[in-house]
Amino acid sequence: MNEYSFTKYMSCHFDRTDMSEANAIDAQHVELTYADGTEAVTDLTLTIPNGELFGFLGANGAGKTTTIKVLTTLLEPTGGTVTVNSYDVADEPRAVRESIGYMAQETSVDLELTARENIQFACEIYGVPADERTARIDDLLDLVDLADVAGKPAKEFSGGMKKRLDAATALVHEPPIVFLDEPTTGLDPKARNRLWDYFEHINERGTTIFLTTQYLEEADQLCDRIGVLRNGEIVASGSPAELKDRVGGAVLDIEIADPEETLERAHRVATETDVFDGTPIDRTETGLSIRSTAARQQGTELLAALMDAGITVTGFNIRDPTLDDVFLTITDGNDVEVNGVDAEATATTEATR
Amino acid sequence: MSAETPDGQKTTGNGFVRDTWIVLKRWLMKTVRNPFVVTSSLLNPLVFLVLFTEVFGGIMEGTISQSLGTEASYITYLVPAIVIQTAMIAATTSGIGQVEDIESGMFEKLLVSPLHRGAVFLGKSLSEVIRIVVQVTIILVLGYVLLTLDTGASLNEYVKTGVFGAFGIVLVAILFSIWFTAISNVVALLTRDQESTIIAVNVLQFPMLFLSSAFLPIEVLPGWVRTVATLNPITYGVDAARALMFGRDVMTVIEVTSFGGVWNTLVPALGILAVLDFALGAVAIYFLHGASSSAVQ
Repeated sequence: MNEYSFTKYMSCHFDRTDMSEANAIDAQHVELTYADGTEAVTDLTLTIPNGELFGFLGANGAGKTTTIKVLTTLLEPTGGTVTVNSYDVADEPRAVRESIGYMAQETSVDLELTARENIQFACEIYGVPADERTARIDDLLDLVDLADVAGKPAKEFSGGMKKRLDAATALVHEPPIVFLDEPTTGLDPKARNRLWDYFEHINERGTTIFLTTQYLEEADQLCDRIGVLRNGEIVASGSPAELKDRVGGAVLDIEIADPEETLERAHRVATETDVFDGTPIDRTETGLSIRSTAARQQGTELLAALMDAGITVTGFNIRDPTLDDVFLTITDGNDVEVNGVDAEATATTEATR
Repeated sequence: MSAETPDGQKTTGNGFVRDTWIVLKRWLMKTVRNPFVVTSSLLNPLVFLVLFTEVFGGIMEGTISQSLGTEASYITYLVPAIVIQTAMIAATTSGIGQVEDIESGMFEKLLVSPLHRGAVFLGKSLSEVIRIVVQVTIILVLGYVLLTLDTGASLNEYVKTGVFGAFGIVLVAILFSIWFTAISNVVALLTRDQESTIIAVNVLQFPMLFLSSAFLPIEVLPGWVRTVATLNPITYGVDAARALMFGRDVMTVIEVTSFGGVWNTLVPALGILAVLDFALGAVAIYFLHGASSSAVQ
């Protein structure tokens, strides 16, 4: 990796005078209805500041890929407005295309061309000046670790190598905004980590990244902010930590001996003790389950109360919420209601923030 | 598929011609990289040319000479048909290449790039034109080799209209290929599947060749075949190329006498092909435009 040359690229990106104020992506009340009447995106409002690594989550069919296609000019929105890098996607699609990099869900490299030729072709498409091309191709080949196999046709590459080549071709013009649609799906953990190092690297240098992923752990670790899409609308957004808080804190699972006989009594004791201020206590097959922000601090009080009442506790576990919990709660269609705050309302304010 | 850059829009992209060249270069590289495809697609026409002339040559010559009103070798008679067959097969692969690009995501990648949409299709079509020129030239040369081995004929006895006529035959092949390229692309965009595209165009290819003036003079064919042949674009492609080969009016499906000699065939035949090219070309552009504006679902 050639640090010097990369910094050199990045310095020439931000030549738009209004760049400091403008958001990288600004979508207002976007709608997309397909010709057959399918409403893929119903009312999507989203702003992403420059330099953010934004994670876009949603179940299959929620409208993620449709949204990316609108943002990358592949589909013209049927309602609302979208600006990408301050250009309107409907009025100035070509200017948008020049300022973005896009890595589609399926690996899009020409299998008959070599790694070098693939990057060369991308350089030509994006009008990289001829005298800079060779150096840039060499740098990118180094960066994605394909320099040794630069002369081999892409059809001889493994899945991970093709993905890395695809990533390199999406970045030849050093776009200020990069769209990554499930870039690591189907890769082994090692290949995934390598690709991630690369994306984090360009994000640190100021590139805005819009990412969809199926790996919530990945989104949790990497993204500054996450938006969750359901039925074509953003239903929650915030930092990974904020979203997890919104689910309602940690989960305390308590296992009791002989649940068939004692579960009702245990439930009554727990409800009467009311350690968690009226938080509903769920019955499970093996015992009780409570989700509360106070689970960690006051969980032992509940255990003591149960044992005082003569109930044998055979196990307990306190689990912090994961993004999976957030994702499942939201995409199942449940309203995430915590401490009287409706997550949907919060999400809307945050998304338009 | 027009370029959608409004006036005054800030852009650092390439011009249309440069975009076309970039796309053309990629397809040429792919063609050269894959010599098997280029040679194997010539295989069928070559087998037809050699076997038909060797097996049927003897019995055909009387019929042909009678039809044309001049002494003619079956090789000379058949070469224009093989030229058209070659153009047809090359046109077939156009759709296959398009599906390949859609399946691999390369098509979408091009659409997200600042390339002019028109250049994406023009560059690809030009690569197919170049391929047709090369392949048709190979067929013309091979036909001449076969003829000289057989009769020791000179070049002017092979293509009566000379070098310009030979160029003309290449142009006829290009003009002929456009409507079939359009069909193969439409089939490709409708099926979005390589195998279906290959099967669909192959199913079309053989009956169309046989139900035309390609292999035998129309007059000796049964009545219903003659009717089909009159409606078959291959007849017009083959007749135009054949007129240049023999330097005389060879078309019998439509009798035109007002232009004189070769032109009595060329004018109506090329006119019909041009109309067909425009009509089917428009259909294909409509489909390609749909595919590029709604992207790939």
